[in-house]
Amino acid sequence: MSTQQETFEIIAKQAKIDIATIKPESTLKDLGIASLDAIEVIFDIEEHFDVTLPNEDTDFENGTVGQLIEAIDRQIAAKSAG
Amino acid sequence: MRRIVITGMGAINALGNDAASTWAGMVAGRSGIGPIERVPAEQLRMGNVVAEIKGFDPVARLGERAAMMDLAGQYAVVAADEAIAQAGIRFDGENGARTAVVVGTGASGEATRDDQYRRLYADNASRLHPLGIVKMMINASASHISMAHGITGPTFVVASACASSNHAFAQAAMMIRAGLVDAAIAGGTEACITLGTMRAWEAMRVLAPEIRPFSAGRRGIVLGEGAAMFVLETLEHAQARGAMILAELAGAGMSSDAGDIAAPSADGAAAAMRAALRDGELAAEEVGYINAHGTGTQANDSTETRALHQVFGAHARKLAVSSTKPMHGHALGAAGAFELIATIGALREGVIPPTLNYHEPDPACDLDYVPNVAREQAVTAAISNSFAFGGLNAVVALKRWV
Repeated sequence: MSTQQETFEIIAKQAKIDIATIKPESTLKDLGIASLDAIEVIFDIEEHFDVTLPNEDTDFENGTVGQLIEAIDRQIAAKSAG
Repeated sequence: MRRIVITGMGAINALGNDAASTWAGMVAGRSGIGPIERVPAEQLRMGNVVAEIKGFDPVARLGERAAMMDLAGQYAVVAADEAIAQAGIRFDGENGARTAVVVGTGASGEATRDDQYRRLYADNASRLHPLGIVKMMINASASHISMAHGITGPTFVVASACASSNHAFAQAAMMIRAGLVDAAIAGGTEACITLGTMRAWEAMRVLAPEIRPFSAGRRGIVLGEGAAMFVLETLEHAQARGAMILAELAGAGMSSDAGDIAAPSADGAAAAMRAALRDGELAAEEVGYINAHGTGTQANDSTETRALHQVFGAHARKLAVSSTKPMHGHALGAAGAFELIATIGALREGVIPPTLNYHEPDPACDLDYVPNVAREQAVTAAISNSFAFGGLNAVVALKRWV
């Protein structure tokens, strides 16, 4: 399964939304995920992929799900390189 | 109604180990924030800067009783001793029973808890230190202040996270007004710089490498620690003693958002500010300075700005609004107590402490935040805001004493 598919599933499950509504260009804010819910989504992603996402990569207001997925892939690549 | 005045203050924090050096630091626009020393920085992801207290020797200041106290208790007693000495108030005879102690604190006991649990879970220690409970209990700081000075009136802590100190001032003022007591030692204490606490704040993604309240690009808070304590008493009591009056505590306002456990509400904040003005019988136009909660998070600073517009209307544009947190850090339960020093200083000396690290304007924060440099400006009335996680708001209103 791709990072995108796994990330979409985590977001859909945590936010209790239909996975079909999630697009790479959506922001978490667009999806109605704010405040602590957004922080929990990031936590679930970190636990699932066993990566650490810096605060710079988790802009809930303006960052898109696509950018989040790129950040996850960067951390996975850094981990396997390290 | 009994009028309440402030006749003593004491403090210990990253700006200085007494109230005078704390205020001097605020006027100079100095920051006590720096790389963390208490916790190894490599064990932290984002929270590697804090406003730590330096050069504090608990045994030199407190003697053998220091060993009975968590850091939060030590800070509280040191600050209370200073405030009581400045006020010159005595607690002999009936006076002890006619005085209250109300300490605001969010958690207290963190260093003791961290140490005990590390011994238990990491070191597999077979026994724990017997003083763990009396050090970590949240009420210990209030108890130690009462023990140190023979104060036998109502004594307790109030906890409302980052609004604890302001709730403590409000509670103390209500007891004085009701005639239960004639004086109170009130303030706040916190000692939250431990590995466990820092990691918990990191996980919430609110710690930032720099705190820049109301500025574009702000990313969150920097933690601080310490205590500040004040002597409150009725005007009559202070005048009978010939005490020097620092300021009048005109009123207090409190509210609960009854909304989100973390996200702030402009309506809740505005309700507390309005209640403080009403309680202090102050017209919005009389207020010249707002010591803002100003945590440096995206949500707080824009929400607080909206609340100020709601409460002050057109007068909001004339207010000087500053957050002193870039200087002393966000000390959670002690925050409002540090900020009362800023508020009293502004009233007494006509100097508004600045908002440091203000880099560029944010359209959502469109007031006068006294950026980066203190300003000489006479103020006759001021309010100090504290808005806690959990939606608990407390605001105090002060008037200049002339």
